Amino acid sequence: MPIHEKTLIRPENLVSHDELVIDGVDVSGHWSTFIKPRTITDYNEEMQAEIAALPGGENIHRCWQCGSCTNSCTMNAVNPEFNPRYWIYLIRQGLEEELLRDKDIIWQCVSCNKCTYACPRDVVPEAVMKATAHWLELKGHTGESLSSVFDRGFTDNVVHSGKIEEGHVLRIFFWRTGQPLAPPWLRDLILGLVKKLPVFYLYNLLKTAVLRPKTRGWGKTGAAIEDYVRERHAEQAAALGLSGKGGH
Amino acid sequence: MSEKPILIVGGGPAGLSAAHAVASSGRQAVIVDKADRLGGAPILQGYAKLVPSHEWAKDAIGGMVTRVQTNANITVHTGAQVQSFAGDPGDFLAALSDGTKIEADAAILATGFTHFDSLNKPEWGFGTYPDVVTTVQVEQMISSGKGIRCPSDGRVPERVAILLCVGSRDRQIGREWCSKICCTVSANMAMEIRELSPKTNVYVYYMDIRTFGLYEGEFYWKGQEEARVKYIKARIAEVTSDGKRLVVKGEDTLVKRPITIPFDMVVQAIGMDPNVDNMTLGAVFGVDLNQYGYIGKAAAYTTTGQTSRPGVYVCGAASGPETIDDSIAQGQAAAIAALSRQGVRVAQAAE
Repeated sequence: MPIHEKTLIRPENLVSHDELVIDGVDVSGHWSTFIKPRTITDYNEEMQAEIAALPGGENIHRCWQCGSCTNSCTMNAVNPEFNPRYWIYLIRQGLEEELLRDKDIIWQCVSCNKCTYACPRDVVPEAVMKATAHWLELKGHTGESLSSVFDRGFTDNVVHSGKIEEGHVLRIFFWRTGQPLAPPWLRDLILGLVKKLPVFYLYNLLKTAVLRPKTRGWGKTGAAIEDYVRERHAEQAAALGLSGKGGH
Repeated sequence: MSEKPILIVGGGPAGLSAAHAVASSGRQAVIVDKADRLGGAPILQGYAKLVPSHEWAKDAIGGMVTRVQTNANITVHTGAQVQSFAGDPGDFLAALSDGTKIEADAAILATGFTHFDSLNKPEWGFGTYPDVVTTVQVEQMISSGKGIRCPSDGRVPERVAILLCVGSRDRQIGREWCSKICCTVSANMAMEIRELSPKTNVYVYYMDIRTFGLYEGEFYWKGQEEARVKYIKARIAEVTSDGKRLVVKGEDTLVKRPITIPFDMVVQAIGMDPNVDNMTLGAVFGVDLNQYGYIGKAAAYTTTGQTSRPGVYVCGAASGPETIDDSIAQGQAAAIAALSRQGVRVAQAAE
C-alpha cells in the first residue's frame, strides 16, 4: 500500500525492494515498503562538555528551551530548519546523530546576535553556534571549505609577519586550492596598477611582495601568539578527545 | 474555657510542631501515634538530607522529637490509635486502642500521608526489576552511608534515570494531584547522587518541573549548572530490561523522537497518597474527606486548619501533599486555632 504521508518520513528510513516475493506473493516495489524505526537508542554523554570547552560554548548548560533564540533568529526567518533552540537541546542531551543531520546548515549563522539579546538565560546562542560549527570542524564532520583554506593562509600570514601581504595570501590560497596562480582578473589588476601608479609606489609594492618584511619587533610577539594558539588548540583537542593537532 | 489538653493525632513534623506550640502556650498536649516512635515519615522512612535546609532528617526532625519528649506539658502515646472520638468542642473524649481514655478540648489531625505504592504502575518495572527503586529507597541508600548501588549486584550505576510524577498527575490511577515536593526532592537527590558517585550520569525525565519559588535556583538550576544533571522532557512509557541493563522507553517530546535508552538504575519519584487510614480517621473523627481522599478543609482564609467538624483541626500532609516546612507552619497555625477553638462559636451560632 502506498504511504500517503511520506513527506513526514525521512527518505533514508523508507525501505522497499524492487523485486520481492514472499510466500508466492509478489510484493515488489512500493508493495514491500516499510519504515525503519527512528528511535534514539543512546546519549553521547560527552557532547555538552565538549562544546562547552570551545570558545563560546561555555554557557550552553543554562538553556531552558524557551525558544527565544529561534524566535528572534535572522536565519530561521529564511530557513525554518535553522533552529538554535533545537540544536542546543540536541547537544545538551547528547543526541549527536540528530545534530549531524544539520551539520551543513549550522555554519549559516550570520552572527547578528539578536538571540544574544533575547536569551533570558544568557546562553549566548550566537557563540554556541560558533562553538558548534567549530566542534563539527574539529571532529571532522565538516570538511575544509574554500573559506577555511583562505582563513588558514590569512592567519598564518599575520602570525608570521604581523601584517598582511595580500599577494602572498592570494598565491597561497590559489596554490592550496589548485587554482591558476595568475587568473585573468588578477593579471588585469596588476597591469592596471603598473600603468597608473607612480614608480615610487610600484617599487614599494614590489619590495614588500618579494621581501615580505615583518612588523618591527614582531619576532617575540609573533612567537607568543603562535604559542598561545598552539596551547588553545591543544586544550581544545584534549577536551574533544582528539589526539593530533586539532583545527585548521 | 476549660483546661483540658489538645489531642494531636500523628507525631510527624506537623504534629510535633503543633504539640510544641500548644505546650509553649502553657497548655497540655497529648500526641498519639500509631508507630512505635515519633518523627513521622522523615524518621520512619529514613530520609537523608532534607530540602531545602540540607540538614539530615535524623538531626532536624530528631531535634523536634527530643524537644517534644522533654516537654513536661506533652504526653506521648506511641503504638496506639484513636478508636473512638465523641463529644463536643471543649469536651471531647477519645478512646485509644491501648485502652487509654483522653479528655480533650480540641483535636488536631496531623496524620500525614502514605507514599504511593509503585506496584500500581507495573509498566515502570518496580517489583519486576530489582534495580528499579523509589526515591525513598535512594534516601535510605544515602542516609545509610553505603552510597548509590544497584540492588541487583551492588555495582555503582553508570547511568541513573529519575522518573518524575510516579503516582502523581495520573488520571489512569485516580491520582490527579501534583505531589508538590517530588520535583525538588528529585533535583536534590540527583545532585546528591552526582556528589556521591561523580561517574554516575543522572537523567531526570519530566512532564513539567515544579521546583517552585526559591527552589528554582538552588535545586533545579544548580543541579544542571554545577552537577550537570540532564533534564529530558519525556513521560516514560515503560521500563524493561535487555537482560543486562534496564531499558527506558518513551518519547523525547522536544525532538519528537521515540527513545529506548539503557540505564543501570531507575528511580521513581513517588508521590504522596492520602494516608491509607483516612477512611477510618474520617469515620472515627466524624470529618469529611475531600474528593481526593485527604482530610477536607473548611474555607481557606477565615478558618485555618479547620475540618468539617467544629473543634477538630488538620495540618500538614493529612489535608494534601505538603512540604515539611509548610507542615511545621501549619502545625503551629492549627495549634492556635485549636487553643482558641476557632470556628466553634460560628458553627454553634449557625445551629
